[in-house]
Amino acid sequence: MVKKILTLFFSLVIIASMVVLPACSSSTSSTPQVLRVNIAGEPAQIDPNRASWSTERTVIMQVFEGLLGFNQDLSLRAIGATEIPTVANKGISADGKTYTFKLNSKVTWSDGKKVTAKDYAYSIKRLFDPALAAEYTSFYFDIVGGQAYYSATDAAAAAKAQLRDAVGVKAIDDTTLEIKLSAPHPTFLQLMALWPVYPIREDIVTQFGDKWTEPPNYIGNGPFLLKEWMHEDHLTFVKNPDYWGTKPKLDQVVLNMISDANALFAAYQNNEVDIAGVPAGTEKKVMADAVLGKEVLRYAELVTFAFQFNVKVAPFNNVNLRKALNAAIDRDAFINNVRGGVGKAAYSWIPPGMPGYDASLGADYHFNVTKAKEFLTAAGYADGSKVPELRLQYADTGTNPTIAQFVQNQLKVNLGINVSIEPMERKAFTQAVNAEKYTWAWYGWGADYPDPDNWLPQLFGTGAGNNHTAYSNPAFDALCAQASNELDNTKRLKLWADAQKMVVDDAPVLFMQYRERFLLVKPNIQGLKYTGMDGDVAGDMFFPNVSMK
Amino acid sequence: MITDTVRPHRSLWGDAFIRLRRNRLAVTGGVIILLIALTTIIYPFFSRYDFASQDLNAILQSPSMKHFLGTDELGRDVFTRLIYGARTSLSVGIFTQLIVLGIGLPLGAISGAAGGRADNLIMRFVDVIYAFPDLLLIILLRAILGGSIYMIFLAIGLVSWVNVARLVRGQTLALKQRDFVTAARVFGGFGSYITTRHLLPNSLGPVIVAVTFNIPRAIFAEAALAYIGIGVKPPTPSWGAMIRDGNNVIFAAPHLVLFPAIAIGILMLSFTFLGDGLRDALDPRLRR
Amino acid sequence: MTKYILHRIFWLIVVLLVVSFITFSLMHLVPGGPWDKEKTLAPQVVEALNKKYGLDKPFFVQFGNYLVNLLHGDLGVSYSRQDRSVTSILLTGLPKTATLGAIAFFLAIIIGIPFGMAAALKQNSAIDYISVLFSTIFASIPGFVLGILLIIIFSVTLHWLPTGGWGGIRQIIMPAFALATLPAAFIARITRASTLEVIRQDYIRTAQAMGLQQRVILVRHILRNSLIPVVTVAGPELAFLISGSFIIENLFSIPGIGRLFVNGVFARDYGLIMGSILFYAFAVASINLVVDLLYAVIDPRIRFD
Repeated sequence: MVKKILTLFFSLVIIASMVVLPACSSSTSSTPQVLRVNIAGEPAQIDPNRASWSTERTVIMQVFEGLLGFNQDLSLRAIGATEIPTVANKGISADGKTYTFKLNSKVTWSDGKKVTAKDYAYSIKRLFDPALAAEYTSFYFDIVGGQAYYSATDAAAAAKAQLRDAVGVKAIDDTTLEIKLSAPHPTFLQLMALWPVYPIREDIVTQFGDKWTEPPNYIGNGPFLLKEWMHEDHLTFVKNPDYWGTKPKLDQVVLNMISDANALFAAYQNNEVDIAGVPAGTEKKVMADAVLGKEVLRYAELVTFAFQFNVKVAPFNNVNLRKALNAAIDRDAFINNVRGGVGKAAYSWIPPGMPGYDASLGADYHFNVTKAKEFLTAAGYADGSKVPELRLQYADTGTNPTIAQFVQNQLKVNLGINVSIEPMERKAFTQAVNAEKYTWAWYGWGADYPDPDNWLPQLFGTGAGNNHTAYSNPAFDALCAQASNELDNTKRLKLWADAQKMVVDDAPVLFMQYRERFLLVKPNIQGLKYTGMDGDVAGDMFFPNVSMK
Repeated sequence: MITDTVRPHRSLWGDAFIRLRRNRLAVTGGVIILLIALTTIIYPFFSRYDFASQDLNAILQSPSMKHFLGTDELGRDVFTRLIYGARTSLSVGIFTQLIVLGIGLPLGAISGAAGGRADNLIMRFVDVIYAFPDLLLIILLRAILGGSIYMIFLAIGLVSWVNVARLVRGQTLALKQRDFVTAARVFGGFGSYITTRHLLPNSLGPVIVAVTFNIPRAIFAEAALAYIGIGVKPPTPSWGAMIRDGNNVIFAAPHLVLFPAIAIGILMLSFTFLGDGLRDALDPRLRR
Repeated sequence: MTKYILHRIFWLIVVLLVVSFITFSLMHLVPGGPWDKEKTLAPQVVEALNKKYGLDKPFFVQFGNYLVNLLHGDLGVSYSRQDRSVTSILLTGLPKTATLGAIAFFLAIIIGIPFGMAAALKQNSAIDYISVLFSTIFASIPGFVLGILLIIIFSVTLHWLPTGGWGGIRQIIMPAFALATLPAAFIARITRASTLEVIRQDYIRTAQAMGLQQRVILVRHILRNSLIPVVTVAGPELAFLISGSFIIENLFSIPGIGRLFVNGVFARDYGLIMGSILFYAFAVASINLVVDLLYAVIDPRIRFD
């Protein structure tokens, strides 16, 4: 009886393996050019007005285009507009408060209709709709009437309609769009290159409501069409045959949704995806590998990571203690040994690749135990054991535990300071940081657009929305106010440089590292144009440029 | 004298212990567990490395003379961390099972023996616990109690006793109808006496298996929690967290997952043999 | 019997109500909410969002509204899935998770029970030790490790199977196997323990003494009587498998419902959290009901007073 059962079992195993083996065709792409890449997970919002996450940007950028966009070097270029507005070509008024965009009349939607100024006006006004509760709207508050409309959550329908009409965006004619600002804003053009102001079809949204983001309703003006969206599984884009510009060389782009780093790495090795990241910590081994080592792609992201102090809470209210901590961390050892050389030690806030990056800043914070001890004495502590136990909080995900334990050990070994590390659940951590209920927390910031005014006032200005360090320096605020309105670019950047120097000197954060992407790319992929502002996938701003051998 | 032919009276547990002693596999299992426990206590005095000391020049090394089981992603000695981790993991494994047995056994026994309304209420309570959103509870407990190991015991124990309760109830339901229970009743035994002296010991077989499986399951629950971001407070090692951290670099350094897994396997085998032996020892039919 | 089933269905509803209340409360008690993001949202945005989704109302009003909607089959919308209805999200993913779970369960049963019985019938023989060894090995390897090992062997090294996704038998083999091993090991051991109890009973010895064939004894007496603990254990395993394992679905990128609860908790997506828990509670309670009914079928002496 037993033998019979076992025989049955083993024959099932043999049959199963016969099912598996013959069907082992490789899944490489053949004649149709199909680029298979991966995004972090199911996108939460692919409505351009409402999107905020890099995964969502990757999707939106294939199907939509805005008036302006970025080049690979992050300078601006005109896409939907015929040219970038300047004072010289009357695109920007002399007082800097009125912008006039001339639209390229060749641009069409994927269903053939022409893209008109009305589409842009509709989209921008919709961005301010309080019912939509979009997340990036506050960036555009300089547009006349925008903030008023956005704040009118409780107003009656009639009042809301009035506020909407009062928003300073007008389609003068089919190819002219006029935007009025309440104050000059030197980086406004960069904001116009971002996704929240991509054009949207009013008739589609009205007709389909919330379902307008499902194919085939998801009509855009970009180089690709969203053909299929298998929720939680993948998105498939196909070439837009009627695209007005240079048509993509690729026939299809498939966005997989593999969330596990190991599974993604395995998928790359099994030839199921063409571009993939590697699990953190395996970089060295990958680089040493005979095959994979040749397929590595590395480039800097516009992302800085740091440990932010709550400068209202003792002992972090002591600037010399903060400086001491900054100087006591051997960042290079971490990056080179633990991270296989991926990333760059940070001694200031603005990362390389952004205007305003200054490598000379933060010289005091280069790893130097003697100097750290001097700062410690200046702070009033004879040695590390006199410092009360410091508490470091972080979200218990990804590589954060490793980094936290590294810092804990560094401070113990180099300065004799005890650090207690407190892993927290993601949202609990975010809430604690936002409410400033923490003492010392791991933190990162990525560029929304490549300018210091996205990096400094929001994070370090007194009472600013994203300033959770409670850092408050009136001199810094004054510099920011000046720089935000300074139309002369050279003068403006100098002001920002001074502002950054102030922040670095006051050390409201422990600067840790600038992030770098470390990817594997199949050798048959050509023409990948990556930038520091990419979404989830390298080169996703320029997929039309990609071809496969 | 007649006394020669009458066996000396031994209590259930006394008899069980003697028989257990004779079971070689069970003894081996028990000895291994004791050895592991002793090592976790004694080793710290002799250890060359501290479980938290990082050698950034010796990252992810394979086993060598210098580091018996290699190093992890921060250059810490794996062997030392494994021994310290045993403490955490043994505690998680054993204490959660104490909670599980403490709640599950009585509830299951009462439910099965009493039947009727009590059975219904207890089993519906069990249904609620089965479906309980434990992740939410753990996040809440952690927010209130911090990342201490006790919070993890509590959280894992409070939601995993249901298996044992249902097992005991199932056994009790079946045994209730049997002749020896009827006989005991006839002889004047009642409710709780029958439950504790007759029904419970006879239900123990599957319960022991459940407990032996629950121990590594608890260790993994701790690892799974770590996998999704809610673990023991570092740098205290635990086998579950070591597996989780090792899993991140499994392509580069598989030994980081292999060694804790082997350790858990050895522990589990020991508990299995001990458990089997215990069950055999308690079985009245094997009395010699 | 019908009266008993109706009685149990009534209590099933009670259980669902209690679970939904507990979940709803815990959801609102834990720190952090759906609008707590790393790039802090302006207070007016948070206010607008709360108003839009009815989160500004008092707790019991919200819970009441939820129940009323539930009665109409409306489980709300998902904040992290562009306002798609939770019902449609669950319905899209459920068939995949349930299929995978059913296959894994089937595998666990056809491996676990025979091996467990064989081990018991030939206690302390080679097969007993092999089954102990294998069940220990599989129980000592957590799901995500076993999964990635399978992927490394069959996808990366041998290129026989895809690393994940959903679509055919080749995608389902590894996750089903990874899911089935721990339950199979557990069921094998429980079967063994339970069978050992049974074969030592007097009535088995009597049957043997009376000359009944071993096979007949096995099927008619041993199998039936040892099934009670097996069924007790298999029931919840099935409920768990049907609701999906976060770890396995994450590793093999299975577009089912297994990840919805955990991802929902981390995003504080209330609709998804409630929807997933209700489904799981329903599955568990119904399966426990079936298990209890099976008790009476297996052992007619069991009565429900």
